[in-house]
Amino acid sequence: MPSLAFKRVTAIWVITILIPFVIDILFGIAMRFNQGADIKLSPIDFYMLMTTHGITMIGIWVAAGIVGVNYLLARYIKVSTALSSFALALTIIAVLMIWAAILIGKFHAGWTFLYPLPFYVVWEKWATPVFLGGLLLLCVSWLIWTVGIVLQILKKYTLSQALALQHLAKKTPSVETPPIVLIATVSLAGVIACLIAGIILLVLLFAEYFSNGSFTNDPLLAKNLTYFFGHTLANESLYLGLAVLYELLPEVSGRPKFKTTWYVALGWNTALIFILSAFFHHLYMDFVQPVGLQIFGQIASYLASIPSVAVTIMSIAVLLYKNKIQWNLVNILFYIGVMGWVIGGIGALIDATISNNVILHNTLWVPAHFHTYNVMGNVLFGLAFFCWLASEFSGSNISRQYGLKMTLLMIGGFGFVLMFYLAGAYSVPRRFSEYPQEFTSAAMLASAGAWFACIYLAVILWLLVDIIKKCVQIFFSPSSAR
Amino acid sequence: MKEHEPILVLFLVSAAVIVMVFYFVYRTTLPPAADGEGIKSPTQKRLYVTSFLALLFAILLFYSLPKSPYFLFSDQAPAKTVHVLSRQFFHFMSLQDIDPQDPKIGEPIELPLNEPVEFQVTSSDVNHGFGIYNDKAELVIQVQAMPGYVNHLRWKFTEPGTYNVLCLEFCGSAHAFMRTSFTVK
Repeated sequence: MPSLAFKRVTAIWVITILIPFVIDILFGIAMRFNQGADIKLSPIDFYMLMTTHGITMIGIWVAAGIVGVNYLLARYIKVSTALSSFALALTIIAVLMIWAAILIGKFHAGWTFLYPLPFYVVWEKWATPVFLGGLLLLCVSWLIWTVGIVLQILKKYTLSQALALQHLAKKTPSVETPPIVLIATVSLAGVIACLIAGIILLVLLFAEYFSNGSFTNDPLLAKNLTYFFGHTLANESLYLGLAVLYELLPEVSGRPKFKTTWYVALGWNTALIFILSAFFHHLYMDFVQPVGLQIFGQIASYLASIPSVAVTIMSIAVLLYKNKIQWNLVNILFYIGVMGWVIGGIGALIDATISNNVILHNTLWVPAHFHTYNVMGNVLFGLAFFCWLASEFSGSNISRQYGLKMTLLMIGGFGFVLMFYLAGAYSVPRRFSEYPQEFTSAAMLASAGAWFACIYLAVILWLLVDIIKKCVQIFFSPSSAR
Repeated sequence: MKEHEPILVLFLVSAAVIVMVFYFVYRTTLPPAADGEGIKSPTQKRLYVTSFLALLFAILLFYSLPKSPYFLFSDQAPAKTVHVLSRQFFHFMSLQDIDPQDPKIGEPIELPLNEPVEFQVTSSDVNHGFGIYNDKAELVIQVQAMPGYVNHLRWKFTEPGTYNVLCLEFCGSAHAFMRTSFTVK
C-alpha cells in the first residue's frame, strides 16, 4: 500500500493537475468567444492561448494517467515516493519554462511546433529555446519516471508476466497478472516510445538551432516524429485512464474484480501495436508520405478500436448489465467517460478514413473528436480517480449525489463538442483566430460552444473544490490516512 | 442535403445509438430490473462483436481506399498543371514554374471544367495547407504544402465558379487570413 509520503506527493500532483486544467479551460473558452466575435483578441494573443491550451491539456492528462496508475499499482508492487517527487518537481519547472516562453516570450507555434515554424521567430528570441528546452526537460523527466515505474513492475513480474502472456497459453496460470499491471505495462511502454520520439525530435531541433545553418532537418521526418510523439502520447493517456478504471470500477460498484483472461491479454497486447502506428493518419494529406504508410494508418486506426470494444466495452457491459449497482460519483464518472470515449472514437474513425479526411482534415471535426474523448472521456476517468482518492484521503464516503452534476456535465460537455462537429461537417477550418465571412454559421457555433463550455467548467469547479478540500486533509491528519 | 452532410448524419445517428445503449445498460442496473442475471455467454458475444467489427471495417476499407486522393485520375494526363508555392502568408499560383526566391503574383488562374488538373504544391518556408473551397464555402479537396517536398494533387472540377484557397495548416499569426482564388470555366 502507498506510504503517507507517497499519498502526500500524489495529493500535490492532483492539485498541480487541476489548477492548470481550470486555467486552460478558461483559455479555451476565450478562444471560442473570440471566434464567435464576442470578445476581441489579437491573432498573436489567440495563438498564444491556443499553444498554452494544447500543450498543457495533453501534458496534464498524461500526467494524471501516470499518477493514477502509479498510485493503484502500489497495491501490487513497491512504488517510489522519491521518483514521483522527482517527476513532480521537474514537471513544475518544465511547465513554468513552457508557460514563460508562451505567455511572456509570446511563442505561439502551437503544441505541434511543426518544424520549421519554431525557427521563424516573430516572438522573443529566447522563447524558442526556452519552449523547446522546457519540453525536453519534461520528456526526459517523464522518461525516467515511466521507466522507473516499469522497472518496479519488472521487479515483481517477468516481462512476459507483466504482459500477461501466460494467460494466452493457460486458462488458470500459476501467476495471475492483475489487469492494471498488464494495461499499465502496455500503456507505459507506449508512453516511453512516445517520449523517446519526442526527445529525438527535440534534440534534432536543438541541433539545427545551435548549428547556425550547417545542419537542417527533414520536414517530413520531423512531422512524423511530432505526431508519433504528440498524438500517440495523448492517446496513451486514455489507456492509462482505462487502467485506473479496470482497477476501481468494480470496486466502487460492489462487483467482483476484473480478471485477466486470454482475450484481455490478447486484446491489450495487440492494441499496443495498433495504437503506436495509428498516428500516420495525421499525414494523410502529405502525399509524399509513402502510400503504404497511409493505407497502414487507416487500417491501424480501424484495428485499434477492435480490442477496445471487444475487450473493454464488453467487460464493462458484463460487469454492469442486469446487476444491481450502487451508483456514486466515481462509477458514474467512469461510465459516462466510457460513453464519451466511444462517441469520440466514432468521430475519430470517420476522420481516419482517408477518403473522408480530404474534407475533414484540419477542419473543426478534428478538435470535435479529440475533445469528445478528452472532455467527456479521459478527463472523466481522471476526475473519477481524483474523487475516489479524495474520499480515501479524507476517510469520507464517495458521494452518491451525482444527478444534477452529471446532467449539467453532459449538457455542457456534449453541447460544447457538438458545436465543433457541426462546424467541422460544414468545412470550418480549425486554428483560425477569426472566421472569414463565407462561413456564415461559424461564429454563432463558436459562441454557443463557449457557453456550453462555461456550463462544463461550472461542474468542474464544483467537483474540484470538493476534491482539493479533501485531498489537502492528507497533510493535516496523518492518522486518517488509511 | 449538402455534400458533407452524410458524414454528420452518420456520426449523429451512431452517437445517438451509443447513448441509447449506455442508457439502456444503466437502466438495467437499477432496481427492480437488476436481478443479477448478467450477460449470458459473454465470450460468445465478444466473438460476435469482434466478427461484426472486423467485417464492418473490411467493407469500409474495400469501399473507401480506392477513393483515396493518391489514386485519383492517376491514369489520365492532366489538362493543366498548376504550380503552387505557399509562404507566409500567401499561396502563389502559376501555370509556369515559380522561382522560390522571387515568387510573383501572375495571371489569374482559370481551370477547365470536367477535365483532370494537377496541383504541384510546395512551400518556401513553413508547413501550410492548400484547401480548395467552392463558392458555397464547402471544402472540396486539400493537400499540404511542405518545404522541401512537392505534393501532387489531381482533381476534376465538376462545377464552374470561383474557388477559394485557404491555408489549412497553422503557419503563424496571419494563418486565418492566408487565401487566394481561381476560377473554373
